[in-house]
Amino acid sequence: MKKVMDGFYTWGFLSLLGIISALFFLLPKSAFSETENRNLQEAPKLSGERLWSKQFADDSELFVTDHFPFRSDWVRAKSTMEQLRLQKENNGIYLGKDGYLFEKFGEPDFEELGNYADAIRQFADNHPNADVKLLLSPNSVGVYPERLPWKAAAYPQAIVHDFIEDRLGNDVAFLDGFDFFKTANSPEEKRELFYKTDHHWTSYGAYLAYKAYASDMGWKPLTEEEFHIRTLTDSFLGSYHTRGQFGSAKPESIEVYEPKNKVHSEMYIADTDTTKDSLYDESYLAKKDKYGYFQGGVHALVTVKTDLAPDQVDLDKLLIVKDSYAHSMLPFLTNHVKEIHMIDIRFYNGNIGDYMEQNGIDDALLLFNTSTFVGERSLLKLKY
Amino acid sequence: MVFSSLLFLFIFLPAVLLVYHLSPKRIRNVILFIASLIFYAWGEPIYIALMLFSTCTDYVFGLLLDGEKRSEAARKWILTASVIVNLGVLGFFKYADFLIGNVNALFDTNIPPTDLPLPIGISFYTFQSMSYIFDVYRRTAKAQRNWLDFATFVALFPQLVAGPIVRYNTIAEQLRERFVNNEIFAEGVRRFTIGLAKKVLLANNIGLLWNEISAGHLNTMPVLTAWLGIIAFAFQIYFDFSGYSDMAIGLGLMFGFRFNENFNKPYTAQSITDFWRRWHISLGTWFREYVYIPLGGNRRGLLIQLRNILIVWALTGIWHGASWNFLFWGLYFGTVLIIEKWFALELLSKLPRWLRHSYALLLILIGWVFFAFDKLPDMTAYFGAMFGANGSPLWDQQTIYLLYTNAILLLLLIVASMQRPRGVQADGTLLHPIVTLIWHGVLFLVSVAYLVDATFNPFLYFRF
Repeated sequence: MKKVMDGFYTWGFLSLLGIISALFFLLPKSAFSETENRNLQEAPKLSGERLWSKQFADDSELFVTDHFPFRSDWVRAKSTMEQLRLQKENNGIYLGKDGYLFEKFGEPDFEELGNYADAIRQFADNHPNADVKLLLSPNSVGVYPERLPWKAAAYPQAIVHDFIEDRLGNDVAFLDGFDFFKTANSPEEKRELFYKTDHHWTSYGAYLAYKAYASDMGWKPLTEEEFHIRTLTDSFLGSYHTRGQFGSAKPESIEVYEPKNKVHSEMYIADTDTTKDSLYDESYLAKKDKYGYFQGGVHALVTVKTDLAPDQVDLDKLLIVKDSYAHSMLPFLTNHVKEIHMIDIRFYNGNIGDYMEQNGIDDALLLFNTSTFVGERSLLKLKY
Repeated sequence: MVFSSLLFLFIFLPAVLLVYHLSPKRIRNVILFIASLIFYAWGEPIYIALMLFSTCTDYVFGLLLDGEKRSEAARKWILTASVIVNLGVLGFFKYADFLIGNVNALFDTNIPPTDLPLPIGISFYTFQSMSYIFDVYRRTAKAQRNWLDFATFVALFPQLVAGPIVRYNTIAEQLRERFVNNEIFAEGVRRFTIGLAKKVLLANNIGLLWNEISAGHLNTMPVLTAWLGIIAFAFQIYFDFSGYSDMAIGLGLMFGFRFNENFNKPYTAQSITDFWRRWHISLGTWFREYVYIPLGGNRRGLLIQLRNILIVWALTGIWHGASWNFLFWGLYFGTVLIIEKWFALELLSKLPRWLRHSYALLLILIGWVFFAFDKLPDMTAYFGAMFGANGSPLWDQQTIYLLYTNAILLLLLIVASMQRPRGVQADGTLLHPIVTLIWHGVLFLVSVAYLVDATFNPFLYFRF
């Protein structure tokens, strides 16, 4: 018996290594991973210099891991094991109640956070003629802490918001997501403000933010009855799902608000020097990252021109400095503003103050979600 | 390269095994040597030169020491020269910046640090190479005339990076003559699989708990959270290190080498003396053989013995890293060992078993706090948290969350740390062999799943 078993071990082990190794070399390699939303490592190139600089070693390590046979199945298996051992999180994502996945949110570095707020204040002080507002949306973990796993704790985002509001003083108007979500977040109000499997707000969440901003600007926001609310897809599994890989997550739907009184918009993407006829990119609905439908992913600088009738125009020019939460809110604003300039502060390297002056813009909306904001060092660019 | 990587498991290892076992016996050492160099170069190509330098000098010193007619005085000089070269290299690459930092702080000077990365495995292969010199000097081993065999011994990739520290005497024979059959290879497979699972499934996961706790506010940490944290650290370091040793021993077997055991259920210890007989055995043996006993051991009176113990433990401490806390950690254990020898062991023997065990675990855990923090304020804050000096409650919400989400893992860790029940063999033969086989297969596959997941790196536009 022992002899037979030893044979099993020896040859079993060797064939396992051999088969997986062979599969790795034989299976076709894809250049892009849909789940991971990134380009995969190319086959490493061998040269003396690359050997010496360790580049070859690093590349081949990545090449093997990126193209490992049945990669996504292994990853799912690991997630299942983690849940079997009662772990309530995987790769930094909580498995919450009611189908909600949450990103962990710990205590931020308040000193750093203070610097970001100061940079915004400095920005407002540098442009005394401009009207600067900060709209900060909490994340799902901030709004629904009661849906976290039992006894799991997230740092209260409300404290972060209060801190920022205090620090901004009176020069910058602060639109607090906790305020405009409060009314909608009552138990009888069943509508979701955030996607359960993604880090973005839903179109309804974006609508509430728009309403708050429009009222603050003194405009008359459109009511929901003035939109056709259309469901784009029922099969959205967002970024939290991608990271956490929880098998229990259910696909959800994405809605779009189309005004009954249509406004035509033209979007110019400066990064690629292209002009588009629409604020949406249908092709993303076939991909994993379906939220990319709004605005077609991330761009450093985008300008939108609308064909509003003169009596519909509430504002001529608006600058939005933002993260991707803005992508689903932008369409609402086209009902009021003639020309919207949108800058992603991570990728735009020019001086934002100069940009406003050159384009004759007097209104700036800074729009971020809390989780991005607390770690967004590039906000410091606003100081100059 | 590390064993717990997909590149090693599924490319490097099968390739080396294939070439090695298909080759005729006389060139197998060449193959192992080349494979070891590739393995080493993967991490830091430049430092290959350093390892080869150590190998060549000690090869020459070994030959010089072996001369039949050489006078004892001359042999002493040769030995001294070799020790100076070895410790010089180790000292320069491992301790220079530590010394410079201290000199700068003490004398207010401004010597620039070398900022060299630590050559991988240098502490291990230097000690192996030195063991050879000592053995030849004491004439307990013959000098190795074949350079390649000696170089293979120093560079042998299974234990190159993290031990066990193989003394030359242990494998001198095997370098010349060794063989592998199904039985030995299968033992290697089992050993490697267990080691891989220890490292990937146990150590890495409990390490996440330690990371989370140690990153928290030490000044307001509840008592139980702090204890949970240091227990997690204790498990992490044991399963990481012993897992790596198991993998090394398993790989050694696949090539026909038999290395010594490095761990023997250290957390079942009944005293600190007992603990150090079970923890990192190859290092303890090395220091006993080549430092403690040559210094006179316990044969030259109590005072000399005390001195020797303190020297050995200061060295053991600083061997673990160039930082004060490691020195302190070593001296802490040295002191406890002296006290145990003096009277405590006798006292302990009168206590019930569970009390002895608790005593040992308590002192071990306190030791890990010294080990874990290289900054004094953090260390004292952590002790403060453990013993309730920061005025925080006994536990809080987070304690409960961390406890129940890790309960099953902790249970597994405790079971894996315990002595096997009587009647169960090392390979679990009390169970039906087929059950054991399936168990090992599952462990291997699940470990691979965790390894693949660790490289899962979604780029999610997360911060936009």
